[in-house]
Amino acid sequence: MNVQSRPSRLIAVEQLNRDWVACPYCDEVWARPDLLEGERARCGNCHSIIFIRKTRSAERTIALMIAALILFITAMSFPFMRMEKSGLSNEISVLDAVSILWTNDMHFVALLCAGFILLFPLARILLLLFIGVSLLGKGETGRPHAWSFRLAQLIEPWTMAEIFMVGVIVSLVKVGKLADITLGPAFWSMTGLMIVLTIGGQTICKDTVWHNIRGQL
Amino acid sequence: MTTTRELGWALCRSCGTLTDQPGEKCLVCGASTEIRKPQSLQYVWAFWFAGVLAYIPGNVLPIMVTDSVAGTSPSTIIGGVISLAHHGSYVIAAVIFIASIAVPMTKFAIIAWLALSIQMRWKLSAHRRHIAHEAIEFIRRWSMIDVFVVAALAALIQVGGLMAISPGTGLDAFALSVIFTMLSANSLDPRMIWDASHPGEEKHVAT
Repeated sequence: MNVQSRPSRLIAVEQLNRDWVACPYCDEVWARPDLLEGERARCGNCHSIIFIRKTRSAERTIALMIAALILFITAMSFPFMRMEKSGLSNEISVLDAVSILWTNDMHFVALLCAGFILLFPLARILLLLFIGVSLLGKGETGRPHAWSFRLAQLIEPWTMAEIFMVGVIVSLVKVGKLADITLGPAFWSMTGLMIVLTIGGQTICKDTVWHNIRGQL
Repeated sequence: MTTTRELGWALCRSCGTLTDQPGEKCLVCGASTEIRKPQSLQYVWAFWFAGVLAYIPGNVLPIMVTDSVAGTSPSTIIGGVISLAHHGSYVIAAVIFIASIAVPMTKFAIIAWLALSIQMRWKLSAHRRHIAHEAIEFIRRWSMIDVFVVAALAALIQVGGLMAISPGTGLDAFALSVIFTMLSANSLDPRMIWDASHPGEEKHVAT
């Protein structure tokens, strides 16, 4: 990008951020630390970790997000579990579960499940994949990356795949005495997805991403 | 020891960009860059009361209704915990008790304590309050478990005529309570915890 064409305000802000950082927890200002991969910077006042320079952040994020995407697709396409009681059986997939809830007038719960365990995790996978690929490739970032990463951070607390899985395990214990339950491939895919998403959500190096975006706007 | 406020700067809470013109839209990510989140405590209290209000019907009303040949039986959160313990599933009973009763109660208490300590300028250790804030950030989502338990049961147990499980009114209230409490914790600007411990900052009134 042609440096001369950048607005002076952007240049001023970028210079400010090249020299200084602030702790998001206690507002203390520090000189920007020069970190090597694997090192972390702690605030000298409140001892929070301000940022961690993650090792091979882009590569790991891409790998884990591709795995997450595959697991997400298998979790959607195979039966989740099968229940039998008195000769009657009922086999459901994750999507079936949401549509059963919806058609039985449990709209609010159906929407919560669709959002927290399907839509938000999928959005997060795709957004982080997009950012990881851009960083690893030419390293060119811009407005779309800023918006994507901000959105990915915003939905982070609302992606509840792991909480859903714990809920499912509890419900299995409850139902175990009432009926025979067989777990399907989607159950194991969801379990894998939960693990991969939990690790993968932490491998992206936030400060590197924002610093990269800041330098190229 | 200098804060961004003393320098006349502000930090974007979304992307960590510093700016020397507080109040402008963050040039990097587009979020607002206030010195402190405006009306932070008002948002905290509004969501806190909404969360507490929704928590009451969430516990009093049945969260799950079981229809079977034996009749219709509604069950509340605490009823579910007791029946699990009664059937010998102590671990699961403990998980549900912790996630649905202990965690929400603790969250209400910690958020109220943090908000009051900021509002009333209590002379408390900022470090201790900081740890309390980190703790609620960590546990805040886990109260959703019970909602997913009922959702999974309701989706699974629909055996034509024999038996059906559906969520009760209490479940919607409980889910709303969890969402409101998450929003309440989210509205608390952690930097306010440290404001009183910075010398020369007493003149700033937290709102």
